Amino acid sequence: MSPSPARSFPASLHVCLAALCLVLLSASSSSAALETRQVRIGFIGASNGDAMRGASQGIEEANAQGRFLGWQYELVPLADAAAARAADVAVIVADAGPDALRAIASAVAPAAVINVSAADDTLRAACLPNLLHTLPSAAMRDDAEAQWRHKHADSRATARAWHESFRKYAAAQLNRRYETRHGLPMSDVAWAAWAAVKLVSNTIATHGEAAPAKVHDMIRGDIAFDGQKGADMNFRDTGQLRQPLLLVDGDTIVGEAPVRGVADPGDLDTLGLAACAR
Amino acid sequence: MHKAIFVLLLAVACASHAAGGRVFVSNERDDTVSVIDAATNKVIATVPVGKRPRGVGVSPDGSEVYVAVSGDNAIAVVDPEKLEVVRTFDSGDDPEAFAVHPNGNIYISNEEDAKASVYNPRNGEKIAEIEVGIEPEGVAISPDGSRVIVTSESTNMLHIIAVPEHEIVANIVVGARPRAATFSADGKIAYATSEISGEVKKVDVATGTILGRMPLADDKAKPKDVLLSRDGKRLFVAGGRANSIFVLDADTLEVLDTIGVGKRVWGLALSRDGKRLYTTDGVDHQVSVIDTESDDVVATVPVGKFPWGVAIDD
Repeated sequence: MSPSPARSFPASLHVCLAALCLVLLSASSSSAALETRQVRIGFIGASNGDAMRGASQGIEEANAQGRFLGWQYELVPLADAAAARAADVAVIVADAGPDALRAIASAVAPAAVINVSAADDTLRAACLPNLLHTLPSAAMRDDAEAQWRHKHADSRATARAWHESFRKYAAAQLNRRYETRHGLPMSDVAWAAWAAVKLVSNTIATHGEAAPAKVHDMIRGDIAFDGQKGADMNFRDTGQLRQPLLLVDGDTIVGEAPVRGVADPGDLDTLGLAACAR
Repeated sequence: MHKAIFVLLLAVACASHAAGGRVFVSNERDDTVSVIDAATNKVIATVPVGKRPRGVGVSPDGSEVYVAVSGDNAIAVVDPEKLEVVRTFDSGDDPEAFAVHPNGNIYISNEEDAKASVYNPRNGEKIAEIEVGIEPEGVAISPDGSRVIVTSESTNMLHIIAVPEHEIVANIVVGARPRAATFSADGKIAYATSEISGEVKKVDVATGTILGRMPLADDKAKPKDVLLSRDGKRLFVAGGRANSIFVLDADTLEVLDTIGVGKRVWGLALSRDGKRLYTTDGVDHQVSVIDTESDDVVATVPVGKFPWGVAIDD
């Protein structure tokens, strides 16, 4: 005798209800201990580029931290400034040109926009109130190279934000995590995008708040961000993230800037425009 | 009666231990452990242990010395009488720092796996594995054994783990790149160093509240290891590139003293009586011995290349 559909339906419903109750019970007991709060991080830029990969790496690591504290992070792709203005996001990571960056910043103020791919110096000199930069500016790289040539006149080393063979200061661990996940070496832009997400999530973890204007205030404050380059990093009033740079000759890291013996290695303001014009 | 004899024997045993003691120092680039006689401050043996030795610890009864051999993904067990490796056991990927529990088990941070693991060193069995944040590093165990702290360096957190449940009961956000932690004698307070933010934080273990913060004024300071004096009143912090030990008031965190030692000081160990502090001065390939009453360096002992961890069996 086969069971009639009329009988089996309520039976399975019963099981479903029991399962649902279990899920709800476990959800409520865990939420009693730790309420999960969502943080949406906007992303404008190529969907298959280094900036997106770096930001995704940052989101994964933000969640590795957030799961212990009740924060869940999500990367929200946005088409343009108009989409960014309408979106409910805590901060925007942008892989865009100088004009687009200005438009996005103006559209979403007072939320912060973090530029991860434009090295343009005029963007730093403009000192826009809510535009920040984790990628080093062209002037920072020039100063690093000049410091290096002061000691090594014939060197052709170029200054970089990051390098795949960087190992010191736990850079090896970050390079390994990134390559394992993406199958590619971490580029300067990927590092800058990772850093943008990670400094936001660290700041939210520390202060326990995630409203857009508050996030902007907090990250511009007295942060000591560990970009896995051995220095504590924070933002200049130009919006530029202070950071040491690597001198790379071919595929070999030959030095770090500020260059010891030429500048104070602890004075990151020897690289690039240190402050806004008054 | 039996109990009285046992206590007497124990007292004799403890007294004989306290009379001397040996200091075990892992030499990261030499693949050896230097053994220093604490009475003479002379190296009495150099024991090959395996690739890239880092963390060092002594079993509660003093009968075994454990060395994390990072390059071999193993713990080497050294017999402190024979001064040789008597066995090794697999410890998971890249063991770095660990701590020995009063029950004899060891708690290891596995940096690459974002895990802490618990091993019984007598048979090499893994007892538990706890998921923690990214790049776990420092491990500390409360004196009563009920709590373990694991620091996760890229997640800026102290994970408080309950023993024997091996569940995380609290996560405390501290400064960037927390490197090491230590408990107060009653287990209620913990102190943690943060390498990148260059500071020490004092936390209430039960509530997770930050009770105090002291940035180290020397901006070259990348604080590493941290220990409390036996009376609990002073905190010793290895200053890394500051080439000094910072002595802080454990209550107020005020810096009371700065003791110059060798270059890149990172490891610390304190004698059982609290009178001698041993530091590993990495780049100078030496151990400094500090008299904790005068805060003077009373000896520097040349050891192998890049000494990392240090422990004493007194």
